[in-house]
Amino acid sequence: MSAWSSEKGEGGRGERPRVVITGMGSVNACTVGGTEAVAAALARGRPAIAPVRAFATDGCRSHLAAEVEASMLSGLLNRETDRRLSRVCQLAVAACRLAAADARISGGPELGIVVGSEFGDLRSTEEFFSAFLRRGSAALSPLIFPNTVMNTMASAAAIALDARAASVTINQATIAGDLAVVRATALVAEGYATTMLAGGVDELSPPLYRHLAALGALSPMQGEGAEGCRPYAPDHNGPVLGEGATFVVLEELESARARGATLHAEVTRGVWGNIPTAPHTAQPFRVDVHSPVRRFLAELAPGLPTCCYGSGNGDPRVDDWEVALLQRELPEAFGRAGSRPPRSLAPQFGQHGGLGVLRVVAAALDAARERRPVLVHGIARGGCRTSLWIEPPP
Amino acid sequence: MTRVVISGLGVVSPYGAGTKAFWEGIAAGTCAIRPITLIDTEGFRCRIAAEVPAEAVAAFDSSPRRSRADRMALAAAREAIADAHLSAEDRAGAALLVAAVGGGMLEGEAWYWEEARMGRPSPRIRALRSILPASHAETVGHRLGLGGPKETIIMACASGAAAIALGADLIRSGVVPLAVVGGVDALTRICFMGFNALKLLDTEPCRPFDRDRRGMSIGEAAAFLVLEDSERCRARGGPMYGEFLGAGMTTDAHHVTAPHPEGEGMIRAMTAALNAAGVPAGDIGYVNAHGTGTPQNDRVEASALRRVFREGGVLVSSTKSMVGHTMAAAGTIEAIATLLALQHSLIPPTANLRQLDPDVPFDCVPGVARPTPVEVGLSNSFGFGGQNVSLVFRKG
Amino acid sequence: MTQQDVLEKLKDILVVRLRFSPQRAAEVTLETTLPKTVEGSLGLDSLDILELLLGIEEEFKLVIDEREDLTAEFFSLDSLSRYVLSKAGQK
Repeated sequence: MSAWSSEKGEGGRGERPRVVITGMGSVNACTVGGTEAVAAALARGRPAIAPVRAFATDGCRSHLAAEVEASMLSGLLNRETDRRLSRVCQLAVAACRLAAADARISGGPELGIVVGSEFGDLRSTEEFFSAFLRRGSAALSPLIFPNTVMNTMASAAAIALDARAASVTINQATIAGDLAVVRATALVAEGYATTMLAGGVDELSPPLYRHLAALGALSPMQGEGAEGCRPYAPDHNGPVLGEGATFVVLEELESARARGATLHAEVTRGVWGNIPTAPHTAQPFRVDVHSPVRRFLAELAPGLPTCCYGSGNGDPRVDDWEVALLQRELPEAFGRAGSRPPRSLAPQFGQHGGLGVLRVVAAALDAARERRPVLVHGIARGGCRTSLWIEPPP
Repeated sequence: MTRVVISGLGVVSPYGAGTKAFWEGIAAGTCAIRPITLIDTEGFRCRIAAEVPAEAVAAFDSSPRRSRADRMALAAAREAIADAHLSAEDRAGAALLVAAVGGGMLEGEAWYWEEARMGRPSPRIRALRSILPASHAETVGHRLGLGGPKETIIMACASGAAAIALGADLIRSGVVPLAVVGGVDALTRICFMGFNALKLLDTEPCRPFDRDRRGMSIGEAAAFLVLEDSERCRARGGPMYGEFLGAGMTTDAHHVTAPHPEGEGMIRAMTAALNAAGVPAGDIGYVNAHGTGTPQNDRVEASALRRVFREGGVLVSSTKSMVGHTMAAAGTIEAIATLLALQHSLIPPTANLRQLDPDVPFDCVPGVARPTPVEVGLSNSFGFGGQNVSLVFRKG
Repeated sequence: MTQQDVLEKLKDILVVRLRFSPQRAAEVTLETTLPKTVEGSLGLDSLDILELLLGIEEEFKLVIDEREDLTAEFFSLDSLSRYVLSKAGQK
């Protein structure tokens, strides 16, 4: 049995709706905008990682990040309707609005949203607590409290965009964005909505940055080597955080065609699975024979794909694991002498929940331009694994 | 089309460890909402909740290094897996969908408090790792050998119901033959303080649908189901608690905390669930309501129920009247209540219901469980800020 | 404490707790209306009103029973500041 696909009659279900990408929107450290802006940023490839400006990193082992400038974000917000939004919600709402405008869609009962995030709104949680600790229970803020639940970004975006079909939030390290696109594609295929905003979002906040650095989760892990994001390189020594929100608009093909939407690419396969390993580790103790991802990759014709985006972000465990998996399962493409590793966008945008969707966006643009399919692969510590097969638009 | 049945149940509830304790508690109409012992409640107006007894939290794993929520999740998931008689091979291919909201925040708070008081990073920083909602799926998947796709779903109070709907989809679409799905939330200071700040809590145990209701009560629990391809379950002679027929998932997109005043999203969720299930509203014999006991939710939910089922057209009761609002576990534990109600032909009551609100035109089964054979039931979970999930189940 | 004093503190609460910009808060006067149902008001909904009420409790050390119907009191900054003064005077 395999994961859903757009092929007719798969799994005895008859024809499942085909799912296409009809727009995109992103607020990230490099750029803000829809298809044009993101395509230009990807083409330029200029890394946005730099010393952190928004807060002090003294006493931390790490000092770099890819930050979204306040001025980039403020121009996208409406002071009246967006007054109460926390910063991570602002990022999500802004990106969703850009995506909706890019795709020329409006809200209603057929528009849903899926948001992937690694950390959610920890900043609001900290604000909520610190008010209490400093000033007692009279200082507790009912306005902040709803933000302490991780679906706050999806709720805010649903209200802003009038998205009244299902709204789902997924928490996952490293590949939250990839997983959001897989899940949203399945929801469209299952008929929960004709259109889905699928995206990922995370923000940098001082306590989060400091604590991750103290936990040794950021470059330079183990305190060795120069700080920086060098995925798959021999001297890789940890991820560098980024922030931002990126959303794609996923739509049922027939409905997209009927309204004359721009078809950027098709998501013909979206699968995810799990490789058994202890939490936060990358040491599988059993081959994932059952994994839909493994089965899907085994079905790919030998020699394909020549282009693959990967979730390797400089964390040696994640990088090495991903390379080993792809060498094992796509030996033609990755196992031969001189094979190149997957392409990582982490050096440009930093590791955050939106990064996986930026990979999907990049794959979609490549697929459309070069008229060939592109694989978006993802693996995280703890074993969550995704694969998306992005093809040129029909 | 692939049919999905429920072949295992596992619960850690304010009544203790085990599905049996849970069913016996709600069937007896016992209210488990009591003065809080886990956290300091000095200075807060509401000081009660439905807590899980200590021995139930440790039913599977007593390690103090694991968060309370992780331990509860492990105990409930383990029971469900054992109940379904899943082999190691079964588990290796089973999906795992965990609904979570608070995550390991109880321990995270303690660490944060300490750091704030000490003015420097606490040695307990490791608690950070298990703060996030995804930690339960990581822990449960690893300890119980669940090797299929893992997903952590956060959808406020509807999370536990969404996990069931999304898990069933994986089976129907042929991705996996089995899915362990459920939700967990442990009591946290943030939840307690936040709902106090929003003034949504009753200082007495909640009274859903009561004319004089004044708010909700917080609870904590972990609840898991094993969902399975019905042919496969039949072939192996597995237990059969009932069949999942369909789900509706909608969003109000109205306000961050208040529901749409006419219950527009609730109506659509119930209608979509009935359509997905291929069941007319008249065939539903019992609705397990979201029924938090807040003036607003119950009024809007009753109005939505009236639109979908004619007045008095169905028995309604709220499990939250007994175990409180168990947050991410609510959707799952209440689905289990619904399944067991169908199985036992016994509708659990709405506890603390003394005087029905005249705006609620339904028999809400006050105080005492009602023996009634019901073939098809519906369970509602209408999350904070308008995330709505309705599930339809058929008797096994 | 005068009504003007109360108004200044209410403006602070609008900024700190309700996230209005300092510029917007500086523009409000006693005549400014509050609830979103009133045209030309500050556009406060039920969550804002609750936050404002708690901010008032904290700032002025009052205890307000939110089950009381305070619609009239929360109509404008004039009515609200008079209400605060009268509650503070009762302490």
